[in-house]
Amino acid sequence: MASPIRILTAVPICDGHDSAINTINLEFIRHGIEVIYLGYHRSVGDIVRAAIQEDVRAIGISSYNGGHVEFFADVVKHLKKEGAHDIKVFGGGGGTITHADAKAMERKGVDKIFFAGTSLDEMANYVRENYSKPRQKRSLAKTRDIELARRLTEIEEAKGRKAAKSHARSTSTARVIGFTGPGGAGKTTLIDELVLRFLSHKPKARVAILSHDPSVVGEGALLGDRATMINSQHDRVFMRSMATRGQAGGLSPATEGCLRELIGAGFDYVIIETVGTGQEAMPFQKNGIVDMTVLVMNPDYGARLQLQKIVMLDLADIVVVNKTDQARARAAISEIEQRLDQNRRAQQLVASVAKRHRDSGVDQLFGLISGDGLARAATKKRR
Amino acid sequence: MSKLGQVVESVEKYNQFVLDQVKRARTDEKFGRDLLGRWNDIKAKIPVSRAPTGLELPRLALPEIDEPGEIARYLFGEGLPGEFPFLNGAYREMYLEPVREVEEGSYGKNGGETNGKIDKKILQAEEPTRLFSGFMLAEDTNERFHYLTAHQRTHRLSTAFDGPTLYGIDSDADGVFGKIGEGGVAIDTVEDMVRLYEGFDLGAPTFSASMTISGPAPIIMAMYIAAAKRRFGPKVVPKLRGTVQADIFKEVQAQNETIFPTEASLRFLTDMVEFTTREMPRWYPISISGYHIGEAGSTPVQQAAYTLSNGFAYAEMFAARGIPIEQFGPRLSFFLDCGLDVEYIALSRVSRRIWAIGMRDAFGAGPRGQMFKLHTQTSGRSLVAAEFKNNLTRTAAELMLAYMNATNSSHSNSADEPFTTPSEEWIRLAAHSQAILLEESGIFKHTMNMLSGSPGMKAVERAVEAAILEEFREIERMGGVLAAVENRYQRSQIQNAAHRYEQQIYDGTRPIIALNKYRNGEDDAPEVKLVRTPRSKQQLQVDRLTKFKKKNAEKAKRALGKLADVVERGENCFPALLEAVEVCSLGQITERLQEVVGRFRPMV
Repeated sequence: MASPIRILTAVPICDGHDSAINTINLEFIRHGIEVIYLGYHRSVGDIVRAAIQEDVRAIGISSYNGGHVEFFADVVKHLKKEGAHDIKVFGGGGGTITHADAKAMERKGVDKIFFAGTSLDEMANYVRENYSKPRQKRSLAKTRDIELARRLTEIEEAKGRKAAKSHARSTSTARVIGFTGPGGAGKTTLIDELVLRFLSHKPKARVAILSHDPSVVGEGALLGDRATMINSQHDRVFMRSMATRGQAGGLSPATEGCLRELIGAGFDYVIIETVGTGQEAMPFQKNGIVDMTVLVMNPDYGARLQLQKIVMLDLADIVVVNKTDQARARAAISEIEQRLDQNRRAQQLVASVAKRHRDSGVDQLFGLISGDGLARAATKKRR
Repeated sequence: MSKLGQVVESVEKYNQFVLDQVKRARTDEKFGRDLLGRWNDIKAKIPVSRAPTGLELPRLALPEIDEPGEIARYLFGEGLPGEFPFLNGAYREMYLEPVREVEEGSYGKNGGETNGKIDKKILQAEEPTRLFSGFMLAEDTNERFHYLTAHQRTHRLSTAFDGPTLYGIDSDADGVFGKIGEGGVAIDTVEDMVRLYEGFDLGAPTFSASMTISGPAPIIMAMYIAAAKRRFGPKVVPKLRGTVQADIFKEVQAQNETIFPTEASLRFLTDMVEFTTREMPRWYPISISGYHIGEAGSTPVQQAAYTLSNGFAYAEMFAARGIPIEQFGPRLSFFLDCGLDVEYIALSRVSRRIWAIGMRDAFGAGPRGQMFKLHTQTSGRSLVAAEFKNNLTRTAAELMLAYMNATNSSHSNSADEPFTTPSEEWIRLAAHSQAILLEESGIFKHTMNMLSGSPGMKAVERAVEAAILEEFREIERMGGVLAAVENRYQRSQIQNAAHRYEQQIYDGTRPIIALNKYRNGEDDAPEVKLVRTPRSKQQLQVDRLTKFKKKNAEKAKRALGKLADVVERGENCFPALLEAVEVCSLGQITERLQEVVGRFRPMV
């Protein structure tokens, strides 16, 4: 079975009209397309960077707030400038884009504009028919990002059977950190807040993020982490969103290959985020390629007994109890502390409220991960 | 329990109270007799109105009941127009035409005093017209404002801002050039704000300004005050009249124009409300809006439930800050969408009743704080491009529903909206639809309650109220409005409803005439010429901003430092904002505040 089509969708800067795109995203997914959704109020630079890193076939832009002729043209221009000629641009804006506008936009290299009244089926079929043919010969990659993104695509399309280039793990200085935990614990927000700290405290550091969302074999998926990861849309961050394509356990069949590729690509930090996992999940093996594993939980895991069943509590190097502004946070922290004491290992426990700006718990986690002193003083060493 | 839980209890209790009164009227003979006496008294005092044909009608229609229990049900359950719980209207006479000749033996004699008061009020009333406008640069919008109000006694301006302004971004920010002056006016500095309202007497009792902006509302509000002070001196501040939308909850739930994290946005909003309710008693510092929730695809019940619960959450927040309820209660106003779904037959009526009961019984508000003052706009989403002239009929039907719900003011959409910024021809027709219904037709001008209280309307009221309360309970179970917002509850409910609506259109279960039913296949939308902001104007805006920033560079640094300190210390930042806008641009202030409180993290 051929790999699903990957496209990126977004709403332009200064535009919050996301009702249409939300509906269209769902329809694309229903038609077997993997949609990386970047969100609304997004700049040309953010859109082009994301499209390149995700190596999508096309960018769909939904614009309802005017200025579309310039904006779409800018996206096309920027893609060309970066050497990403083979990423197509399409979109629509209901009645706000006139036929004359559409002609002007198509002259400037936009592939297709859909007008008001186009059925959802029609749009999805257009994408499937026009962006599904395998890309045979691709011109020489112009930038480091494009080259890396294409390698990841090759690995993913070979379902992990294709090995990464022979980057020796030993020559890499990348610190690889795996994040896992149940859905809704706030992993994505936490990672994004850490990235903000990497960027501001380490002016030259480059970060890679491999983010996962669930999908079934041969079906579509909504890969939406980028939409909330506002700090990670940055030139020093390379982010890749992957669908699990039917594999259980929180990762994709191609994860390991992609991870090896990223490790060899000269990043200072490589962060991998699993899908929301269940109690039995062990996405990161002992002595695997991940240097440090972080389990992110929220306080409402249920009765204390449930903690005994969470395998990752035995394996994680750091356990973060996030959302500690919620009810029963204190009880959760002390219960988890006791649970970790059973392990008699040097595990760290961090309490955080990642959604809070400049949260001290996130500072502490940053200190632990980066080995920096930012919050070391605040770190409570466990016996 | 949050206040919302108490509101649910209040409404349940009140409904029980009504039932008790009904029972008592039937069993307690004296009580029943008194009620009957009051009822007959009310009826006797109803003045007569006369249709142009000569037909005489009562100015207030009441149900034909003479049994004490039913009278109790009506008076306590609905209330007369203008009386608690305000089901039939916030005011007594709403759209009735003024009494021209006071007739002997009726109104003049029986209700003389009240009548005199009301009459005076009507004669001095402001025209309901408040046309939304904003495009290109401040001077262009200013010119349009003068054109729109040229022949009006009162000057009621309504301001639309462009995208960069709505997101608190400067016109010189990366990648926004094409958006300058598109869809609204570009405002970067207090100097733009001065230009925007040049030539209007901002402190006059006949002037009011409405500003449709939420994310950066406190900054824009500060600019408005600063601009007024520059032109009229500091004494103008208490005289300023108008409203700023400033509805953060609906932005996070539906419209997505938020720039700070929710809690920080709410804090800045409360800072502003604390200042304006104290210093500017005639200003409405928030317009609690369901319109955008409805337009984003919610069901009517979701729209009313989220809007009301947002309103109660704001009231709870302002009270927690220590702002007296008698100060902020009467300064809250509402804005709802009206579409063609059957719920709209009574949605605003029910909303008005729930608000009144909640504010009285859960918040202890006095009569002025119990009133749900409502602006209604017809549904933009219900309009389609296919055979667009049908939109006139849709809008007229929606307006009819809005008036049946006794909205305080209304905006009717232009039929050409699905494919363009409204053109003058269709704006004029849209405005006329209001006049045709209220002034030309006799439906609303002779008799209050003309279309209220049909068995069908009552059935809708009961169903809608129960559904709204159920939504309240769900939100309460999640820990209240803020907790539900953070769980994306309202957002995902709205998105689900929007998706279902689209599906229904495509599978035909929701007929849209000329789109999925009785379609002739022709696209009759005329090729329109859109007014776009010329590049030269966009460049002019950028140049002005550059000059302003250069001129004030040193002062701006100090003002921003001071502002940041105040915010760090947790004090009310509005006075510091008032100083900062004198020398800083909107974008500079936004960025500095974001450094302190963070940026809004969008919800998917």
